[in-house]
Amino acid sequence: MSLSLAAAQILTGLTFGMLYFLIAVGLSIILGVMNVVNLAHGSMFVLGAYMAYSFIGTGLNFWTALILSLIISGVIGAIIERVLLTRAYGKPLEQALLTFGLAFVMADVMKWIWGTSLYRINTPTLFNFSIDLGTVSFPAYRLFIVVVGIIIAIILWYMESKTRIGAIVRAGVDDREMVSALGINVRAVFTGVFVFGAVIAALGGVLGGPVLGMYPGLDFSVLVTSLIVVVIGGLGSWKGSFVAAIMVGLIETIGNIWFPALSMFLIFLVMILVLMIKPSGLFGRGEIT
Amino acid sequence: MKKTALYALLLLVITLILPLFLSSYGIFLTTEIYIMAVFAMSLGLIMGYAGLVSLGHAAFFGIGAYTVAILGDYVGNTYVLLICAILLSALIAFISGYFFIRVSQFYFLMITLAFGQLLYALIWQLKPITGGADGRSVSPVLNFGWGNLLDPVHIYYVTAVLFVLVYFILRLFVHSPLGQTIKGVMENESRMKMLGYNADAYKLVAYTFSGAVAGVAGAIYAYYNVFVSPELVAWLFSGQVLVMVIVGGMGTLLGPAVGAGFFVLLQNYMSTYTERWMLIMGIIFIFFVIVGRGGLIHLVMAIWERIKPGHKRSAKKEINQSESGGIT
Repeated sequence: MSLSLAAAQILTGLTFGMLYFLIAVGLSIILGVMNVVNLAHGSMFVLGAYMAYSFIGTGLNFWTALILSLIISGVIGAIIERVLLTRAYGKPLEQALLTFGLAFVMADVMKWIWGTSLYRINTPTLFNFSIDLGTVSFPAYRLFIVVVGIIIAIILWYMESKTRIGAIVRAGVDDREMVSALGINVRAVFTGVFVFGAVIAALGGVLGGPVLGMYPGLDFSVLVTSLIVVVIGGLGSWKGSFVAAIMVGLIETIGNIWFPALSMFLIFLVMILVLMIKPSGLFGRGEIT
Repeated sequence: MKKTALYALLLLVITLILPLFLSSYGIFLTTEIYIMAVFAMSLGLIMGYAGLVSLGHAAFFGIGAYTVAILGDYVGNTYVLLICAILLSALIAFISGYFFIRVSQFYFLMITLAFGQLLYALIWQLKPITGGADGRSVSPVLNFGWGNLLDPVHIYYVTAVLFVLVYFILRLFVHSPLGQTIKGVMENESRMKMLGYNADAYKLVAYTFSGAVAGVAGAIYAYYNVFVSPELVAWLFSGQVLVMVIVGGMGTLLGPAVGAGFFVLLQNYMSTYTERWMLIMGIIFIFFVIVGRGGLIHLVMAIWERIKPGHKRSAKKEINQSESGGIT
C-alpha cells in the first residue's frame, strides 16, 4: 500500500470517527448527567439527515437546510424530554425502555414518510471537489467533516473547562444531587443537555448525509457503534468520546481493508479489552449506578 | 401444592384439546405463540429474577436456530441437534455473560445490544455457512424416535409440551434455593454480598440458564419455520421479545408468556389492516412502561380475582410478586 493510499484511508477513518464523535458525545453527556441511556439517539441522527434532505428537495441550499434541521431536531429533543422522559425521572431503567419504544416509533414514522429506499444528500457545491494526494485523490467534503469535528471538540473543550454551563455539567456528572442542592435548576439543565445531544446528533446526521446516506436500519447501526464508543471512551466527557470515536473510526476503516469480515468484531474486541482493564472507560469520569 | 398440580393438569388438558377447535392457521399461530412464550420466559427470567435487562437476547435464540440449521446438514438425530443447540447457546451465554455481568445495568443494556448486532454482522458475513442475508433452509426433521413429525399438529404438540415443560422447569428453578438467592441478589445486591454470596456468579448462572432456554426456543423455531435468517438475531427481534416481557408483566413467570400471546396475535391481526405495526407496537410498549407496571398478567389476575368468589391466595401472591418485581 502506497503512502498516499494509506493517508487516504486514515482520512476516511477520521471522517467516520468524527461522525461517530458527533453522535456519541451527546449520548455520553446525556448518560453522564441525566442517567438516561438514550436509545433513540441514532434515530435523531437519521431524522436530522432525512429532514435536511427534504428541505434541500424544496429548493433550499445545503446550509439553510442544515440549520433548519438542527432547529427542528432541538425542538423535538425538548418535546421528548419534557413529555416523555419527565414521566419517569428517578427510574432510569424505565427511561431507557421509553427511549427504546421511541426508537421503534421513530423508525416506523421515518419509514412512513420517506419509504425504504436509500437516499443521499448531495455534497454541497462549496466542497464538491477532490484533493490530490499523489496517486489517489480525497474528497474535500470528508476533510470538511474532520475539520468540523475538531472545531466542535474545541468548542466543547472551551465550554467544559471555561464556562459556567460546563462547570454545571461536570458537576452533574460527578454528583447529581449536590448540584440540585446548590440551587441550580436541574430540570432546565436536563432539558438543555438533552436538546444539545439531539442537535449535535442531527448535525452528525446531516453532515454524514452525503457520506453515509439514509436508509431504514441506519439508526440502529449508528446507535450501536456510538454505544461502543461511549463504553470505550467513558461517560460524561467529550474527551473520551473524541478519542474513542477516532479509534473506532480508524479500526473500522483499516479493519475493512485487511479483514473485511471482522471489522465489527475488532471493534467489539477492543471494547471488551477496555472493559476488562478499565471498566469505567478510557476517560471515564463518573461511576454510573 | 395440590392447587399447582390442578393448574398443571388444567393447562395440559387445554393445550391437548386446543387443536380440535382451531383452524390450521390457528394451530400454526398457536405453535408460534408457544415458541415465543418460551423465548419470552427466558428473558423474563433474567429481567424479573436477576435484574438483567438485555437488549440482545435474540442472539441466543438465533444461536439455537442456526445450530439446528447448520449442523442439521450433517446430523439428522433430533436429540443430538437439540442438545448441541442448548449447549452452544449456554456456552456462549456463559462466556459473554462472564464479561458483561460485571458492568453496571446501563452498560449491560448497551453491551448486550452491541453483542446482538455483532452476531448479526457475523451471520451476514459468513455467507457460505449461514446463507448470509438471504438466510438458509433447515433440512432436518423433528423425530423423537417414533417417526418424522411433519404435520403442523404434531409440531403443535411438540411446542406445547416444550412450553409446559419449560414453564415447570423455570418454576422449579425460581423456587429453588439457588433461584431465591438470585432473586435476593437482584433485590439487594450489597446485602447479599455482605452475607458472603458471590453476586456476579449467581447472576451468571441465571444468564447462562436463560441463554440455554432461549437456545431451545430457537432450535424448535428452526424446525417449525424450516428457514432461518439473520433477522432472528437482529435488534428488532430482541426488542420485540423485550416488549413481550414488559407488556406481559415482568417479575412473574407466566407474564412474559401472556405477553408473547398478546404480541403474536396482535401482530397477525394488525398486519392485515396496517403496515404501521412497529409504530403501534412502540406506542403500546411506551404505554405499558409508563402506565401498566405489572403488565397484562396483573390486569388478568385482578379481573380473575373479581370474578372468582372467595379469597384466592395464589392469585394474590402472583400479583404481589409482579408488583415487587416491577422495574425500578
